[in-house]
Amino acid sequence: MKKLSWLILSVVLPVLAGAQDIKIPPEVEKLSAKAKETVEVTMDGPMLRWASKFLSADDPEEKKCAQLVANLKGIYVRSYEFEDEGGYTQAEVEALRSQMRGPGWRRVVGVRERDGDNVDVFFRLENEKMAGIVVIAAEPKELTFVNIVGPIELDQLADLGGEFGVPKLDPKSLPQAQKGDRK
Amino acid sequence: MTVNDDNRMEDALRDALCRREAPEGFAERVLARVEKRSFSRRADLHLGSWLGMFRQPLLRWTALAAVSTALIVGGIEYRQLQREPAEGEVAKQQLILALRIASSKLQLAKSKVQHSQDQNENQEEKE
Amino acid sequence: MAEPLSAEKAAEKARRIAETDFAEIVRRHQAMVYSLALHFLADPAAAEELAQDVFLQLHANLGKLKSEDHVRFWLRKVTSHRCIDSKRRRMPPQMSLDEGPEPAVPSRTDDPLLSRRLRQLVASLPEKPRMIVILRYQEDMSAEDIAEVLAMPVATVKSHLQRSLALLREKVTRTIGEVTI
Repeated sequence: MKKLSWLILSVVLPVLAGAQDIKIPPEVEKLSAKAKETVEVTMDGPMLRWASKFLSADDPEEKKCAQLVANLKGIYVRSYEFEDEGGYTQAEVEALRSQMRGPGWRRVVGVRERDGDNVDVFFRLENEKMAGIVVIAAEPKELTFVNIVGPIELDQLADLGGEFGVPKLDPKSLPQAQKGDRK
Repeated sequence: MTVNDDNRMEDALRDALCRREAPEGFAERVLARVEKRSFSRRADLHLGSWLGMFRQPLLRWTALAAVSTALIVGGIEYRQLQREPAEGEVAKQQLILALRIASSKLQLAKSKVQHSQDQNENQEEKE
Repeated sequence: MAEPLSAEKAAEKARRIAETDFAEIVRRHQAMVYSLALHFLADPAAAEELAQDVFLQLHANLGKLKSEDHVRFWLRKVTSHRCIDSKRRRMPPQMSLDEGPEPAVPSRTDDPLLSRRLRQLVASLPEKPRMIVILRYQEDMSAEDIAEVLAMPVATVKSHLQRSLALLREKVTRTIGEVTI
């Protein structure tokens, strides 16, 4: 019985851990070959803390930034800018979105525009607290995926907004799965 | 003076003072002035200024540009005990860029939601 | 995997993104800012210059603003104060407002003569009542919101509004004659 319990645990734990990890689908990674410009940032916790050491402690705003980043477990960005429209397919976008269908994820913004920008914002919650945020922006000539991982309070996210021009995301003002479907 | 007269007066004022479109090319002219001002500045600017936080002395950029392009930020062996300061500066700028992109896309999402809500409100008013 | 960006290219990319974002903010609010200045100054060229100055100032202060509502409040406040402080307030209108740009929204009434006269009369009001009337009827703001933007007591705003409306009504009636409005 013990052995069986251990086996179950060893299966469940990786799944739970996997629920936190988001993998960039290989078909999305390959977009860099077609893109006019690619930004790929992959920074896990230790990397973030190391990079933040170079933020100036004398600058009050950089200092605040360093404090914010200290609470994050990772920042992952993939951004592909194309010369023309049609640089990526809906299947590739869907491959990204499907990553957030697991437990703990909630889509708080979903905008679909015909011939325009499609934007999704997902929150990851653990014990009713923010544990991460994903933004997927599918614009005519650009596809962007942002994943910020960490036990961030919404106030901290708002602080992120204040320092870098991100509008404060007031949880009260963000309805569930808002759609601006103009189809 | 009746309430109806007041209401008609107010409607007339709303009509007379309704918003006008800005002249053609207004945004571009603003940006041109911003660019001109930013280019001529040499002072340190805080992170709070959208463009200012990316301004660095030219000499420093020259040194950073010389950093090997084989440097892969995410794959850096962070267990190394010593790092070149230049590598750290690269990582810092990557971090700032990542946050800038996150900022930009969150703003995009919010503006889309706001626009959608405004449209819904206008539709309800018409009905 | 793509080659990572150098620090310089990363900074340049970030700068371009910031520029694009700022351009979007300008486009979203330019009609409001320009119209406030235009209705106050009654001079399209002066209005554009003032509006540009406002956005330049916004650019320098954007990091301090926390939300879209905050941006809108800030723009109304700064535009209003710049208009009131403007040296042009003592000069008569330079050109007819009808020579300016098209309205951003369709007209509710079909009396361009009355509209033109009302704009001229509003532009002749003293500075603070003028801005109060413009904020009220261009932006549909409440007296409380106007008071906050102009840093005035609410009672003062209401008093100015009431007197301005009475004055405008009297002048419109006098100059156009019996106008059924």
